[in-house]
Amino acid sequence: MTDPAAPQAPATGPALADIVRATIADVLGTTPDDISDSTDLEADHGVDSLELMAIGAQLERALGVQISPEDLMRAENVGHAIALLTERKAAR
Amino acid sequence: MTSPPPAADRPRVVVTGIGVKTPAGNTLDEVVAAVMSAESTAAALVDELVDRQAPVRFACRVPDFDLEPYLTRRELRQVDRPTTLALCAAVDAVRDAGLPPIPPDRVGVHLGTGIGGLPSMEATALDHGADPMGMPVHTVPRTMANSAAARIAMRHGFLGSCLTHTTACASGTNAIGEALRRIQHGELDAAVTGGFDAAITTIMLSGFARMRALSLRNDDPGRASRPFDADRDGFVMGEGAALLVLERRDAALARGARIHGEVAGYATNSDAFHIAAPHPEGAAAAACMARAIADAGLRPAAIGQVNAHGTATRLNDRAEATALHRCFAGQAPPVTSIKGVTGHLIGGSGALEAAVALVCAGRRTVPPVANLTTCAEADRIDVVAGAPRQVALAPVLSNSFGFGGQNACLVLTPGN
Repeated sequence: MTDPAAPQAPATGPALADIVRATIADVLGTTPDDISDSTDLEADHGVDSLELMAIGAQLERALGVQISPEDLMRAENVGHAIALLTERKAAR
Repeated sequence: MTSPPPAADRPRVVVTGIGVKTPAGNTLDEVVAAVMSAESTAAALVDELVDRQAPVRFACRVPDFDLEPYLTRRELRQVDRPTTLALCAAVDAVRDAGLPPIPPDRVGVHLGTGIGGLPSMEATALDHGADPMGMPVHTVPRTMANSAAARIAMRHGFLGSCLTHTTACASGTNAIGEALRRIQHGELDAAVTGGFDAAITTIMLSGFARMRALSLRNDDPGRASRPFDADRDGFVMGEGAALLVLERRDAALARGARIHGEVAGYATNSDAFHIAAPHPEGAAAAACMARAIADAGLRPAAIGQVNAHGTATRLNDRAEATALHRCFAGQAPPVTSIKGVTGHLIGGSGALEAAVALVCAGRRTVPPVANLTTCAEADRIDVVAGAPRQVALAPVLSNSFGFGGQNACLVLTPGN
């Protein structure tokens, strides 16, 4: 988020990926460098459904797109989730 | 009313672990030292309360301590301050007890809280009242009253009864008593039990202030909490948690555990009189004390000191003095109240006081009441002021009386 006046506008590509990693790290109490494209939230971090919803809710606000917990559950790893969100963001 | 089963027919129950997070210290030794010095911990003005022009702007806060040994960042995101304090105290208590492997379904968690998660729901309402879809996903699990008990059971894998008792200011005492009964009745071999509350917020403090339960000494917080003093004008809000590990005495002895003392007797009843005020004649409170003493297989004359509920509200201290006078037929042993030092931990108070009373009884010492200059109840009871008083080694009676007229008393015996 480089532009405080319009924080959601530039969130594509690397910026979006950074937001996703930072959000996940916040909810799981870890650091963004701990979250890579190949991270599997369930297998690697034992994420539960409430945490997944918390991640989804924070991303909805940060990115201005609709995300259901099911979307996030279907994603095999963080890279897939980022791809899905990038797609959603572009479709808006 | 049936009389309780004779003490000889049931297992005896001892305290093998104690953990505290309180305004007077985060170890039991610190708390006992502070209590003996009779110096109030109510000093700090609370900025948020000043900003919001709350009628009461001071309280007894738990000093900051390092949470890292207790909770991961991930857990901290999901728990509020009351649950944090309870969870930390429970970890300390379990470590202190050094429990051996016990079948997990034989270990229970019995907590007491008067206010529970209301303070964090207050914050949620203030932050998200106009934006409910922005509420954190964990709002309900964070604020529900049984959150702390569930977290403790999860942390340690205890599969036995997991209950949260709520009787306002008597909650912690009731929790210990109910855990005692579970062990006596053979349903559990051990329990993590006690009480907690952390409600130093604008709405919570102002709520108590609006019913004139709190001292208004904003300009002199250190002298505000003055149990049994003629100039008392209400209690001082504290916060914190005190957790005990109770265990069958035979098992504790067999494993060579360090034993803090015995929970020998318990009773609980109701004034059935008023939603906040105690009955001025104290008949039910006196009966509760008498039944707790009888439950321990003792006579009133065997009690060496009394840890009074002693909140420093006009009505509580007057009614409690009358009840003590009645229970002990005018011969009450020396009485103290630690709330002059700690403030009122609400659901945490009874558990903290049971732990401190057990230590004081073991040291044959009655701690003096902070800020007690002129005892308004001296015609009925002997309240210790000025300096600690030496007494004989004897059991202690610990009283708690909740808004709603809910009374709970424990008798604790030092030693093995």
